[in-house]
Amino acid sequence: MISYIIRRLGYMLITLVFVTIVGFFIIELPPGSYLEFHIQSLRQQGGDVTPDQIQALERRYGLGDPVHIRFYKWISGFPRGDFGQSFQHQRPVGELIWSRLGYTLLISVATLIVSWGIAILVGVYSATHRYTIPDYLITVLQFIGLAIPNFLLALVLMIFLQQTFGMRVGVLFSREFRDAPFSIAKMIDLLSNIWVPIVILGVAGTAWTSRVMRANLLDVLNMQYVQTARAKGIHERKVIWKHAVRNALHPLVMTLGMALPGIISGEVVVSTVLNLPTSGPLFFQALIQQDMYLAGTFLVFFAVALLVGNLLADIMLAGLDPRIQYR
Amino acid sequence: MSDQVGVKEAGADQQVEQPSPQSNIVELRNLHTYFFTDLGVARALNGVTYDIPREKVLGIVGESGCGKSVTALSIMNLIQPPGRIVKGEVMLHRRDADGATTDVRLTDLNRHSIQMRRIRGNEIAMIFQEPMTSLNPVYTIGDQISEAFMLHQGVDREEARRRSINILDRVGMPYADTVVDQYPHQLSGGMRQRAMIAMGLSCAPSLLIADEPTTALDVTTEAQILDVMRGLQSDIGMSIMFITHDLGVIAQMADEVVVMYLGRVAEQAPVDSIFYDPLHPYTRALLRSIPRVGRGTKERLKPIRGVVPNPYSNITGCPFHPRCDEFMADVCDVNVPGITMTDDGRAVRCFLYSDRVEKNG
Repeated sequence: MISYIIRRLGYMLITLVFVTIVGFFIIELPPGSYLEFHIQSLRQQGGDVTPDQIQALERRYGLGDPVHIRFYKWISGFPRGDFGQSFQHQRPVGELIWSRLGYTLLISVATLIVSWGIAILVGVYSATHRYTIPDYLITVLQFIGLAIPNFLLALVLMIFLQQTFGMRVGVLFSREFRDAPFSIAKMIDLLSNIWVPIVILGVAGTAWTSRVMRANLLDVLNMQYVQTARAKGIHERKVIWKHAVRNALHPLVMTLGMALPGIISGEVVVSTVLNLPTSGPLFFQALIQQDMYLAGTFLVFFAVALLVGNLLADIMLAGLDPRIQYR
Repeated sequence: MSDQVGVKEAGADQQVEQPSPQSNIVELRNLHTYFFTDLGVARALNGVTYDIPREKVLGIVGESGCGKSVTALSIMNLIQPPGRIVKGEVMLHRRDADGATTDVRLTDLNRHSIQMRRIRGNEIAMIFQEPMTSLNPVYTIGDQISEAFMLHQGVDREEARRRSINILDRVGMPYADTVVDQYPHQLSGGMRQRAMIAMGLSCAPSLLIADEPTTALDVTTEAQILDVMRGLQSDIGMSIMFITHDLGVIAQMADEVVVMYLGRVAEQAPVDSIFYDPLHPYTRALLRSIPRVGRGTKERLKPIRGVVPNPYSNITGCPFHPRCDEFMADVCDVNVPGITMTDDGRAVRCFLYSDRVEKNG
């Protein structure tokens, strides 16, 4: 198992190299560069830009070099923690993204945990109460949850909370805590704000996961070994939770690795709507303005999240099911 | 013809006779189990009446879909919705240590109730036909056997494990102390079925229901498993209800035989009578359809004509009449024959032996 994990980490590194190459060239693909975007906005402001100035800017940003040289320069900084400069913000990419990535990760992982927790409970309930009124009700809610796009949900919830409770949506901390040092009160304040994006991000996932859980459990409940457990005289609740649910979780955990990138890309949209200080809005801006090192670095980190998520899912699967062995 | 058979009917409205020094461990009376599906009502059991004799092996035979397994699950009170026992009763005659018997009407108990769960796996155990799927893949053999020990005998995990190894040993499991920590997928089909039997026998039940326990196994393994079951049956002194469609296995295992057809008992008789003097036309047809060593090679096997009607259909009269060689017009297709008891204690449901009609057919 240990040697398997080490080997997987090696593969992850190779995958990452390819991700950086592909990511870099995709960002490079659209015509123009940040420089043209910059010159255009200078011209719009009424100033004229002379060829001399353009050359000076090109040199400053290192845009004169051929693509592969620029790629090499960018990627060779990675081991030192240097991810290049953001054109737009005039600061190193590393400085800009850490806290934002941290919040993104926090929101994403919290969403995953909350939505799975609820989804498993709901899925088990509706599978064991199939074709009853509560099950039909849950089914309706599930389809609504799946059908509402999360940006719309974000807008509706934002307006609702603001008008009804006077809550300020779109912040992670209240004003008095924003720059305060870490404390319990600050954590509580964070929790009182962060549930909004978690709810918005989690609705579709919860609906989907609970639907899958219901179907899986219904399959498993038809298995012979569930009948065996009942025939032993075990309490029905224990039959469900010990003998059936553990087998029904199997396909869910397999999708865990895919769930994380889904939530992160959902977070881009939701955080842009709510204007949260997470990586979403910054990444979006960087893509529009062709701030390529910033955008590229985000891509790399999202890829890392995907790879780590997959590895964790595989390890969990092995823990869940003794038939799975990694060599 | 009816004058030569004793007249005794075991119908629904008849009270179960006062338990004598009970020779039966379980008695089924007019059991009806229906499944209320979207396609309609599947009448899986249509008035099943028979007795499971104490400390004997009762074989249940019949084609697929005749209600063998549903009967077993009805006894265990394990029929899951949309299925339900709609009528009839299952009586358990429990014998205490001092020889006194108490009666428990299993059909009166809620299937989730503590009383029912104390009986399941403890007094009545069941092993299923597919050893590949009847063990939970994510728990070790030891875990799954220990569960019954901890539940019914209140022992701790360590003691349960010791007892699990012990019972695995008794069913002839090789390397029991290794197997106890292995998962089902690491065992062969025969070993899994031994593990299932060990699980069923763990609490020394007074009745073991074996639902085609050897169907999925090869003949060598089958012979071994049957040996083990026969040996343990006389050791523990339990009853076995052995469900199979293999008449060869019945000849080898059973003391008494119940032949089922379409949710009803066609005939119940001692094993020798079934093979040498079958009464019901269905039993005769079944026996004719088995290939036998020594029969001329030119001779064709005689299959039962027609197919088993689907369980949603509602056949008037005797359910076997469309396929019966001795069909009597205006008799068999009008009324359902009642149970006729012969003088030598056999039960048969056929108008050839009496004109008794089933009242609530």
